[in-house]
Amino acid sequence: MQFTLMKESKEKRTNYEAAIIGAGPAGLTAAIYLSRARIDTVVFEKLIPGGLIASTDWIENYPGFPDGLSGGELGERMKRHSLRFGAKIEDIEVTGVALDSENISIKTAEGTYSASALIVASGTSPVRLNVSGEENFIGKGISFCAACDAPFFEGEDIVVVGAGSSGIQESLYLSKFARSIKIVEFLSHPTAEQILLDRIKDNDKIELLLFHKVIGFIGEDSLSGVEVESRETGEKKVLDVSGAFIYVGLSPNTGFLDGLLDVDPKEFIKTDPELRTSREGVFAAGDVRTTSLRQVATAVGDGALAAHKVIKYLEKKNEG
Amino acid sequence: MGLLSEEDREYLIQEFNKELIRDVELLHFTDMNDKSEYAVQTKALLGELAGLSDHIKLTIKDCSQKEEIEVEGLDLCPAIKVKSKRKGFMAFYGIPGGYEFSSLVEGIIDMGSDKLSLSDEVVKELSEIDGPIDIKVFVTPACPYCSKAVRTAHLFSLANENIKGSMVEANGFSDLARKHMVSSVPHIVVNGKGSFVGALPERDFLLKVKEVMN
Ligand SMILES: Cc1cc2nc3c(=O)[nH]c(=O)nc-3n(C[C@H](O)[C@H](O)[C@H](O)COP(=O)(O)OP(=O)(O)OC[C@H]3O[C@@H](n4cnc5c(N)ncnc54)[C@H](O)[C@@H]3O)c2cc1C
Repeated sequence: MQFTLMKESKEKRTNYEAAIIGAGPAGLTAAIYLSRARIDTVVFEKLIPGGLIASTDWIENYPGFPDGLSGGELGERMKRHSLRFGAKIEDIEVTGVALDSENISIKTAEGTYSASALIVASGTSPVRLNVSGEENFIGKGISFCAACDAPFFEGEDIVVVGAGSSGIQESLYLSKFARSIKIVEFLSHPTAEQILLDRIKDNDKIELLLFHKVIGFIGEDSLSGVEVESRETGEKKVLDVSGAFIYVGLSPNTGFLDGLLDVDPKEFIKTDPELRTSREGVFAAGDVRTTSLRQVATAVGDGALAAHKVIKYLEKKNEG
Repeated sequence: MGLLSEEDREYLIQEFNKELIRDVELLHFTDMNDKSEYAVQTKALLGELAGLSDHIKLTIKDCSQKEEIEVEGLDLCPAIKVKSKRKGFMAFYGIPGGYEFSSLVEGIIDMGSDKLSLSDEVVKELSEIDGPIDIKVFVTPACPYCSKAVRTAHLFSLANENIKGSMVEANGFSDLARKHMVSSVPHIVVNGKGSFVGALPERDFLLKVKEVMN
């Protein structure tokens, strides 16, 4: 058993040079770069520092860790790294952002903070399928976090929806607990990295069900089946399972911005190559912005670049 | 070698030194004959924590002391109750391992200080609750979001004496977890009846607690 210690700053202040929304890989990297430039920085985090990677059991494509490491540990290391150089992490949800000519106001349940520059690094949340029964069985068989909930499905038959890298990676982890796993994929081919696909070939608990869509979740008090339809023949069938883990994509956490920034049709924040958004002094980094790859490595790169641009922006602002 | 790394020990010594203004008792009810890894590690962990500050006292009692368990307002064993002169009810049923170790450390600091990290609005709403509320947060040690829910339940108990906040480690209390149909954590059971799932910001957490009570 590990004993994970999350270190927190207890100091309360409301005025900073730079603010970052989200303590995932993008936000924490930006915090490291800003603090090392001696910019007084606060990071707001509504759940736990580390971001989305905390919900995955194993990361093995982030350079520097050839043997891989758990998402939770990588997140915790990034957090410690940012604290080491003096960033403050506030354990609060940001509920709104407002701009005036001088400052950026960041609204939270514990009052309003102000900063001269802002990096939005609020990441994404898992997308739901929006099919019948889904809402009823979330927490009663349907889950979005294998690391959290795998032990409840020891010896059970389960479904994983989505054969992208996340779906396959998490299926490999779940196969340590479940008796059998059917991975239901909408497309006619899985989209995961080849190395992960090679691994499921060797795992006799895992079976792929391609070109099928999930049309409903059924059960009484808890989930007992997932209804799927073949996209080739239209044939419908029910898979008798007690659990379903859903990995079908991510939607950006941008609701709190309330239309402040320009976004693409899927609500991801639009940026220029320097990570500037449509409003002066506001930058966006990581999975929350329009980009073609959403990974820890890309989020970290974005965090560094956004911090660099904030440093330049503040220098110019202070000169003028 | 202890369970805590040298770096964590150093950090905790400094934090406890800075934050604790009164004594905190870790009252641990355990099955003295239980030699399982979890039981042994829990005892060792609490011993190490108590060794980090003069303000932390460890008391170990046996699960057979049913009356005392009841007097303390606990209803499961093994249990750790974090106590001090400050009003509030913070319990951990089962091992506070993985991310829950942070909840335990925060609990000690909360009980040993006067801080209350809740918004004024939530504190006011909590103070208006007059019936007893028992909030049990089912967790697994690898759940990164669960400690947030445990801490919220604990903080609520500091804001209102009628509220009890407890962590329940689901693997250690699998029958109870099954009874409440826990299959996704954090799973929050209110007064043994209504429940909801998910780590929520404190205000939404309070709204859910009220919703499931009605
Ligand atoms: C199951 C799974 C497996 C994955 N495996 C890998 C892998 O093996 N390798 C890899 O490179 N990537 C992997 N990823 C992708 C990786 O997790 C993301 O690319 C990365 O976390 C993006 O970092 P980020 O900082 O942009 O956003 P996030 O990690 O999403 O962090 C954003 C943070 O902002 C916080 N936040 C949001 N809104 C607010 C608000 N209003 N106020 C305060 N805080 C807020 C969130 O709580 C969150 O902590 C995986 C993802 C999933 C879901």
